[in-house]
Amino acid sequence: MTILNTEGTKPIYVQIAEWIETEIMNGHFNSDDKVYSQYQLAEMYTINPATAAKGLSLLVDENILYKKRGLGMFVTADAKEIIMNKRKNYTFKRLVQEIVLEAKRLQISEAELIEMIKSAQSEEGE
Amino acid sequence: MKVIECTDLAKSYFGKKVLNNLSFSIEENKITGLIGRNGVGKTTLLKIIAGFIKETSGEIKVFSERPFNSLNVSANSIFVDDQMSFPPALQLYELLEAASSFYPNWDMELAKRLFDYFSFDPKGYHNRLSKGKTSTFNAIVGLASHSPITIFDEPTTGMDASVRKDFYRALLKDYIAHPRTIIISSHHVDEIENLLEDVLLLKDGRNHLHLPMEELKAWAIGLKGPTEKIQEWVNDKEIVYENKIGTNTSYVVVRNDFADSALQSARLAGLEITAVSPSDLCVYITNQTKGGIDDVFKER
Amino acid sequence: MSLKNVNLTEVVKRQYFFKLKANIDAMSSLVFLQLLAMLFSMGGSNSFHSSYDQVALEVSYFSGDVIIGFTMIWAFVTAITITTRQYRNHDFSFVTNRLSSSLSNILFLLTASIIGGITAILARNLLLVFKYIFSEEQIYGIPLTFQDLLLGVSATIIYLFAVSAIGYLIGALVQISKAFVVLIPVLFIGMLFIDGVMNRDPFIAYVFEFYVMESSFGLFFVKMVSTAALFFIASISILNRLEVRR
Repeated sequence: MTILNTEGTKPIYVQIAEWIETEIMNGHFNSDDKVYSQYQLAEMYTINPATAAKGLSLLVDENILYKKRGLGMFVTADAKEIIMNKRKNYTFKRLVQEIVLEAKRLQISEAELIEMIKSAQSEEGE
Repeated sequence: MKVIECTDLAKSYFGKKVLNNLSFSIEENKITGLIGRNGVGKTTLLKIIAGFIKETSGEIKVFSERPFNSLNVSANSIFVDDQMSFPPALQLYELLEAASSFYPNWDMELAKRLFDYFSFDPKGYHNRLSKGKTSTFNAIVGLASHSPITIFDEPTTGMDASVRKDFYRALLKDYIAHPRTIIISSHHVDEIENLLEDVLLLKDGRNHLHLPMEELKAWAIGLKGPTEKIQEWVNDKEIVYENKIGTNTSYVVVRNDFADSALQSARLAGLEITAVSPSDLCVYITNQTKGGIDDVFKER
Repeated sequence: MSLKNVNLTEVVKRQYFFKLKANIDAMSSLVFLQLLAMLFSMGGSNSFHSSYDQVALEVSYFSGDVIIGFTMIWAFVTAITITTRQYRNHDFSFVTNRLSSSLSNILFLLTASIIGGITAILARNLLLVFKYIFSEEQIYGIPLTFQDLLLGVSATIIYLFAVSAIGYLIGALVQISKAFVVLIPVLFIGMLFIDGVMNRDPFIAYVFEFYVMESSFGLFFVKMVSTAALFFIASISILNRLEVRR
């Protein structure tokens, strides 16, 4: 399942979860803030509410959100940290793997690759 | 709660089997997509559910009763398609009023708003509407009826892209406000996939797959790479579709029962792994051959 | 969404009012047919001529027979029409089952018979009034009491209802098999033919004698209405098994 996520055709519920994560990272939602309900999300994206619920429960499973019975979903205290860790350890790692794989296909040497990363970094820094 | 239950349902027309040992059940308040090729029996199934036609054998229960000739099923369900017919003597607005007198949950406010939004003439006549307008009007009747079972059989026939989009959005918004069991059959799987909670896929008159949409999306994966390597990876898998690209590259869609680690090593071995969109997958699954149309042109 | 229970009477009532509106065309064709019949009747339905010396005598009978005949044809055709697939499908766009559809059709046919009966008798009287006003000839009429008029109207309504019951049954039979389109006329004419060959009174004469020659109105009423009911019950049980919108 996770393999598929890098492939552009991400399942909608994963996209929903990631969007809420980004909203949390941006500071749009802070800890103990109430996030969108499955019905609000369903309307916003024109998707089935069950799909939206699946996105939310994904975040509950990862302790990014917690459920208050009858009230809705709220952001946990360590949400930001968890998201950051997750992105570093999974998303970013996979991105690097992707780069390494493509470099191999294009016969780019390790030194060349590191050089490219360095120059990209300095461009960003300017 | 199950609102529709079929066991070994079969239907024949003049000795020809259209539905064959069909068994499934549909849960209350879910949107289910009925997918399948032309002539596979989708409409037949929906008409049996609506009580229009009789099953030949097997059992069908809608709200725990046999739908054929059931007044309760008729009052609590609606069947919408482009063949819906209305008395030619009545004007469009009179038809809405008639519908309102028949359907116990009818929402006249919604009907009026949609009627105005799609700029219908209250004094117009149903049999003078264009194909797309007919479908739109029928869809309004279907939505406003607020029937506990709402059946849309190819509801978007003739609608242009923007009306289709409006219709899907209207359907979803009204569903959120008034949850009910909705069944949509459509050829435009890509357009409705996000609306659906479940998918019921018919093939050869029986149900081939019945599962949540999200599971269907992960049900299969596509592998692309050198033909020999691909063969190695898929030889014990259930192949849904295969296609040769050039002389030694293959694209194969297989049932996704790979472990994550296996996929990872496949990637490292240089295979391209892709998700398969539900609409493509439905086409592949319902194809009679593994190669699709290309098989026709093979080795000529 | 909570389920709503409906009862048969309620549905039949709604369908009946719906059909009154939806089948308004049937009423306009009734008016047209009756006007046409009046026109045909203007010349008199039957006449004889005699002359004796300088006196020439011409007697014409005027009656509402043509009007009533036309109205009967109308009732027959209307009954057949509402059994057709198209009309049935209209019901199935809304809430219905086959029984409620038939019951509301029968109520509609009864209403049509009542309207047809009243207008037929009125048209007949209108014809006589026209004759009085515009004709220079001497008109002799049997004076009609209100009771006679009422009897005439009732009998006409019963006739129309019975004719529509026949039409409804034929329509129902045709719905299960198109073969009846041929079979029914063949059977009917065939029986007349056989009766002719066998040199006996045609069966239709017995039917006529049994129903029409009945002198007691009460008995006439019972015979006609129970026969109509029988025909309708047969139609309902035929239509009850029919698949719609295949």
